[in-house]
Amino acid sequence: MIMFKTSRGRRLMADILTYIVLFTMTIFCLGPIVWMFLTSLKNEADIVTSQMQYIPRSITFQNYRAIWTQSNFPVLITNSFVVTAITVAICVATGTLAAYAFSRLSFRGRDRLMLSYLLVRMFPAVMVIIPLFVMMRTVGLVDSRFGLALAYTSFLLPLFVWMLKGFFDAAPKELESAARVDGSTRLGAMGRIILPLARNGLVASSVFIAIAAWNEFIFALMLTTGQGSRTWPVGLQLMVGEFQLPWGVLAAGGILSILPVVVLFAIVQRTMVQGLTAGAVKG
Amino acid sequence: MATLSIRNIQKSYGALKVLHGVDVDLDDGGFLVLLGPSGCGKSTLLNIIAGLDEPSDGDIAIGERSVTALPPKDRNIAMVFQSYALYPTMSVARNIGFGLEMRGVSEEERRIEVQKAAEMLQISHLLDRLPANLSGGQRQRVAMGRAIVRSPDLFLFDEPLSNLDAKLRVEMRTEIKRLHERLGTTIVYVTHDQIEAMTLATKVAVMKGGHVQQLADPRTIYERPANMFVAGFIGSPAMNFIRGRLVSDGSGSRFESDGVMVPLGVREKASGSRECFLGIRPEEFKLVDRDDAPIKGVIDVVEPTGPDTMVTVNVGKHAIVARAEPRFQGRRGEQVRFGVDPQSINLFDADTEVRIAIDPTHQAI
Repeated sequence: MIMFKTSRGRRLMADILTYIVLFTMTIFCLGPIVWMFLTSLKNEADIVTSQMQYIPRSITFQNYRAIWTQSNFPVLITNSFVVTAITVAICVATGTLAAYAFSRLSFRGRDRLMLSYLLVRMFPAVMVIIPLFVMMRTVGLVDSRFGLALAYTSFLLPLFVWMLKGFFDAAPKELESAARVDGSTRLGAMGRIILPLARNGLVASSVFIAIAAWNEFIFALMLTTGQGSRTWPVGLQLMVGEFQLPWGVLAAGGILSILPVVVLFAIVQRTMVQGLTAGAVKG
Repeated sequence: MATLSIRNIQKSYGALKVLHGVDVDLDDGGFLVLLGPSGCGKSTLLNIIAGLDEPSDGDIAIGERSVTALPPKDRNIAMVFQSYALYPTMSVARNIGFGLEMRGVSEEERRIEVQKAAEMLQISHLLDRLPANLSGGQRQRVAMGRAIVRSPDLFLFDEPLSNLDAKLRVEMRTEIKRLHERLGTTIVYVTHDQIEAMTLATKVAVMKGGHVQQLADPRTIYERPANMFVAGFIGSPAMNFIRGRLVSDGSGSRFESDGVMVPLGVREKASGSRECFLGIRPEEFKLVDRDDAPIKGVIDVVEPTGPDTMVTVNVGKHAIVARAEPRFQGRRGEQVRFGVDPQSINLFDADTEVRIAIDPTHQAI
């Protein structure tokens, strides 16, 4: 107990405690992913054992080969790509204009409209899913990638608009005034002056939307019924059969599915962090 | 180059009325300064001239052309903003040439024009830099370069010097004046700094609460302010106001107050008296050594500033500030007597605070 009495000892103790907490949290977060990765490299015999076998005895890529060649996984991934791309495209095209309008133009009911945008986010997805399903069926968009992307847009667009509005708000208004005096239209000033400034914010918001759309499960489960539009979270879940649980293949599918997200993060990480902290630094 | 005519411009934001029917005319090549305290509506008026804000009523014409319904880009104006508003992602050269770029001017021609403007403003060596790498004064020059490169009908300046330090501000003020004399373009300039207004303007519009209080050349504004607000706003130290009475009888008119008796040398037929304020600029007090001096007081504070000495004098119950010569030797508590040139004084009605016109044929006292 002597060491607690000196300030150096106390600091050391605090450091040790900090590291213990951080280490525990890291294991908690990364553990499942590491386990999944290890499982994906195991033989079937190593996975289903009476004694837990954490480290594979022999490494095999059989599971990866199996999911890529013997299941419809490539189609699932393609569908996810398409749905995500459409969602991001719609959000960027309409959301950018909406965010700009909310940020710069003053019109009647602007604040109320902004709030009602948030309202959509306040209900759990399962509440809107039945009416949404009925609507989609009526217009014939059930089991279509575009339909699913529209459904995603319905709850991701508000998030996108709110995020981007913050970035637009941070760009000085005088810049647009200068551009308009210099010969731009309002839209031209937005495109030439404000968007390049809010680029980081745009990237950050888009990545948020993309990841949310990529990983979404409930809407995809309800609104896709056939092979043609099913996305990977649903596809993987459906591989769990009544009598068969192909753990190794599922794990390989899981790892492959999070790869695009990891790569995307790696590419835009710096821009995104800059974008997310831009408002804070200016404050 | 063009004339500017502002007709009955009104602006309301909901129930709040910020401009109450402003009328201003400016000659071709004139330099109009909109001067007033913050919140007086001067920047709103400038934005309306630029087309960045819409008037609730009224009309703006540049040259013979009414521009009220035109967007900013079609008004052929250029504007320099308080924050300079340089495009942060573009080089200095592209910033200056942006207006030409928007008008479809060829790259070669643009380069020549940008070079010409940059030389005029001595920023040729900065053309490749980004605005973030420039000092305040350099940014100011780039912003001016962006305005002059297009040879617009009208220049608009929105408090362009208020972000600069005192020394640079004086330098750039001279630069703007030189530029105006060289280019001869019509200019509208917003400021709350009365020195800028006095030095630059050919015409000053003093504004308060959305009204133009007085529109005149700087000298008239200074010497014959239309009311006590204008009189107090222009000049530093401010004009002295002494409350008293304007008395007229058979022998003439005079201003009387505690310790003050200024004959006005005007003969009025009607006798009578009215409450009013006497307004005298600090430099109009002349130290005299006569018993019948119109103003007598006791020195309170003596403040040498270098080029002259400010003397605060208690006259009756009023404290006045007089500008004395640099080597003024008076001390606190000493008696002083002042004479004033009746030409240089102003009288304001005590209730309306509006200037009272006195017959111009005064005699010196």
